[in-house]
Amino acid sequence: MLKPPIFLLLLLTSFVGCNTTDDSPQKALVSINFSHSFNQQTLNSNNFNALQYTNAFGTTLSFSKLRYLISEISFTNQQGIKTLVKDYQLVDLGEDTGLFIDDILLPEGTYLLSMRFGFTEITNTSNVYPDLNAASWNVPEMLGGGYHYMQMEGRFLDLNNEEFIYAYHTISAVQNPGPENTREDTSIALNLGEITISQDQTQINVTMDIDQWFENPNLWDLNTLNGMLMGNYTAQKMMQENGQTVFSLDTSMGN
Amino acid sequence: MVRNLPFILFFIFFTLSCDTDEGQNQGYEPTPVNIAVPAIFSQLLPAPEIPANNPLTEEGVALGRALFFEKKLSADNTLSCAGCHKPNEGFSDQRRYSVGIDGIPGFRNSMPLINIAWNTKNKFNWDGSASSLQEQVLEPVVNEIEMHNTWPNVVATLENDATYLTKFEQAFGSPTISKELAAKALSQFIRTLVSGNSKFDNYLLNQATLTPLEQQGLAVFLDENRGDCFHCHGSPSNPLWTDNDFHNNGLDENFTDLGLGDITGDPAQFGLFKSPSLRNLAFTAPYMHDGRFQTLDQVINHYSEGLVFSPTIDPLMKTVAQGGVQLTLQDKAALKAFLLSLSDPSLANNPGYQNPN
Ligand code: HEC
Ligand code: HEC
Repeated sequence: MLKPPIFLLLLLTSFVGCNTTDDSPQKALVSINFSHSFNQQTLNSNNFNALQYTNAFGTTLSFSKLRYLISEISFTNQQGIKTLVKDYQLVDLGEDTGLFIDDILLPEGTYLLSMRFGFTEITNTSNVYPDLNAASWNVPEMLGGGYHYMQMEGRFLDLNNEEFIYAYHTISAVQNPGPENTREDTSIALNLGEITISQDQTQINVTMDIDQWFENPNLWDLNTLNGMLMGNYTAQKMMQENGQTVFSLDTSMGN
Repeated sequence: MVRNLPFILFFIFFTLSCDTDEGQNQGYEPTPVNIAVPAIFSQLLPAPEIPANNPLTEEGVALGRALFFEKKLSADNTLSCAGCHKPNEGFSDQRRYSVGIDGIPGFRNSMPLINIAWNTKNKFNWDGSASSLQEQVLEPVVNEIEMHNTWPNVVATLENDATYLTKFEQAFGSPTISKELAAKALSQFIRTLVSGNSKFDNYLLNQATLTPLEQQGLAVFLDENRGDCFHCHGSPSNPLWTDNDFHNNGLDENFTDLGLGDITGDPAQFGLFKSPSLRNLAFTAPYMHDGRFQTLDQVINHYSEGLVFSPTIDPLMKTVAQGGVQLTLQDKAALKAFLLSLSDPSLANNPGYQNPN
């Protein structure tokens, strides 16, 4: 007969214990979702291979592969303290992998969300990430080594209205491809702005506006720039410029 | 008392569940064993993925090996897995189409069975028709143009063989023979088939030097404007020498074999086949899913000037309009020399891969 009260007591103390530990804010379990659109139309693996997107140049195109690397995924709180939640993430839209970063535990509050498209000079070291090696994400040494930033591939209708193929690959821009190459950091810092995290705002949506890769500030003509772009320094610089407006925080999403 | 009921129930379930593994040898554990990971793999790649429900054990691998070389798996006791996956032919078959027990050839070239433990995409066969190794290894036995047998018949045959009763018991703690356990054992053995001792591997480990021709060939392979092979076939950073993914590499304008598209029904995947590893090409001729090319020269000529357009051609085949990258004779010779440096002559002699029966 003594047992029930003891259990109750234990239960009570544990509740009380919860309330008295400290005054720090409640924590929320947050996830980041990478979504993709082309001129406001959602793109996912189901609408791959459909020749139904028109870029700013007026070219009709489709997608058969879209993989990219995001690194330094961080939240900076209002005291300026930065929490790195993930070193890097390979997003693969075609395979539906890497589209989420789940289980980020953060105190409720307002943060600046930042990440990076690609790797910096320091982190873009050849061969150091086994999962990326296995994903054949590397860049040959002659092209500067390290890893790809993005592989976007598909088809387009050329000037004769015939289907042709493109491979829009971004890497650290490289001059003098070959043994004496020099590499330049063309990763893109993404300062995505403010986000308030609370128990009822736990899903963060980061959108890639794919159309921007072809548009702003450099109007992209797939008829001339459709392949062998890795070793093309000028093309890489243009891609980096266009990439500045590609990612945004979609604050319309609830939890 | 009622409060304690869940605990009591739990206890009962717990003890019951111990008893329900009927016939299993209480407390018997086979000896765990690890895959022999080549040095260059441990430097560059994640650890191999072994399914939690089928860990590698010495006894399981030994049983799998016995089964792999066992002709009794076929209806007329004439053909084993090794009959079409020959250790001295890179665990592949130099016949264009392997021939089944009824003398009928298949319609695809056999595939080499190496480094499968690193295929995390888990899509097997040229067309990705099997979604796990365990699923794949069940199929050849019942395939009408391969071993043309039935699993009940295989199980009955093995049950009549005392050594197999012992081997199954040693591997799985029970003398009960089933097709599921046979598939587990075969999968365990296949996961131990590792190739990572080529000249090129040793070069990466600073234990061998490449000839100037091989060096040039590597450069062609990695050059976006020449071979551009690395996007699909690995690189010094991905020593699997495959992406284990599916592509149309420009072989045909019209397809007689739809490959991946035949399985998925997706027209965008018509004519896509798995990129094979480029290891052991010295032993695995002929090449491509239908073994159409007898020699590496023919393969290289294909990429250099033989590409043809079809609606699903891979976007990386960017020079298809010109038929290919138009390699010089020098580049072709170099590429070939480099490709051959990925072959591993020690594979066939590995004592763990010999016929134990
Ligand atoms: C008659 C010849 C033949 C026999 C016998 C045979 N295979 Fe195969 N094997 C093939 C062919 C041909 C393929 C490619 C099939 C395809 O793509 O349609 C293949 C593919 C495979 C693959 C897929 C490899 C990969 O990387 O995707 C595995 C695994 C395999 N076989 C294992 C076995 C096992 C285990 C046995 C014995 C139970 C066996 N095979 C018996 C001819 C054979
Ligand atoms: C777009 C991806 C892709 C690229 C780029 C590519 N390949 Fe392939 N390769 C494949 C696929 C897919 C197959 C199998 C095709 C089939 O059987 O239908 C293949 C087959 C082969 C084979 C036959 C292997 C065997 O065991 O049958 C060799 C050799 C080969 N490729 C070498 C090369 C070389 C050398 C290059 C560069 C000049 C290259 N590949 C570029 C995808 C590619």
